Amino acid sequence: MIITLCLMAAITFMTRYLFLHKRLPFEIGPKGQKFLSFSAPAVLTAIWVPIVALPSGELHLSLTNPYIIGALTAIVVAYKTANIYATTLLGMIAFYCFL
Amino acid sequence: MLPLNLAVLPWGILCGSLAVQNGFTPIEAQLMSLLVFAGSAQLVAIELIAKNTPLLTLLITVFIISARHFLYGLSVRHKLVGHRLRVRLPVSFVLTDELFAFSHHPKAYQTQARLVYALSAGFSFYVFWNIWTLIGVVAGSLLPDLTNLGLDFAIAATFIALVIPSIKNKATLATVVTAGISATSFKVMGLELWLVLAALLSMSVGYWVDKGVQS
Repeated sequence: MIITLCLMAAITFMTRYLFLHKRLPFEIGPKGQKFLSFSAPAVLTAIWVPIVALPSGELHLSLTNPYIIGALTAIVVAYKTANIYATTLLGMIAFYCFL
Repeated sequence: MLPLNLAVLPWGILCGSLAVQNGFTPIEAQLMSLLVFAGSAQLVAIELIAKNTPLLTLLITVFIISARHFLYGLSVRHKLVGHRLRVRLPVSFVLTDELFAFSHHPKAYQTQARLVYALSAGFSFYVFWNIWTLIGVVAGSLLPDLTNLGLDFAIAATFIALVIPSIKNKATLATVVTAGISATSFKVMGLELWLVLAALLSMSVGYWVDKGVQS
């Protein structure tokens, strides 16, 4: 088990470190940099939308899905306040009210 | 950074409790969070290990889930590559989704204060991740099943809080909409690389919309 855990740790660390290594056989130009500037909204959204839309592995897009209610609430609060605390808290409250 | 420490609480508890309920000893469960420090990879690995999945399959799966970090490394490379190895190594270790979401200031990592801030935030996530795991290990040994409490919604809420205010132009809006639809579709279709494929597709859409707006 300990070896498995160390191998897993090596893989996650490698994926984080590789492109921060000093010498790489390529350079990223302004176009590449522009492309990469979209990575945060892209990855974070690609993580949260399936959590909400596929709560038990199947598509469930309706107001009977508490994840959808919670997410819609969070989106409105985030849009109005841009506040992480308010968004997370009110989203969670809406979610648990309908769970 | 405090709300993000609280936001990983549910996942940390889930990781700790699932691990002990799937036959990990408490020490193994804690070690996983201490060494691996990657929520989604850990959760999936726990299920695979419990099912006695072959080691190679497990490692490939962990690699696929972690592949998004390549994008993070590439994105912040120009801000960090001038630093010494003793800075780049610890930053790499704590370069999680949450820290990456905090890396967008043009001067991030580049002044002394911003570097200290990033490392403090990154390692505070690490410390809290392990405290939450410990609570999960204890709770998992005492309580039956914590998996049906909707704990994963907290992550969705946090990421909504990080993403929505960052939508300031059509290109980012197009990226977000594409990412949500494509990730959900690819996952339903059962594509192993759904996350990375959806990210690359939506980044391309953002790039092209941006180009179209400018020309």
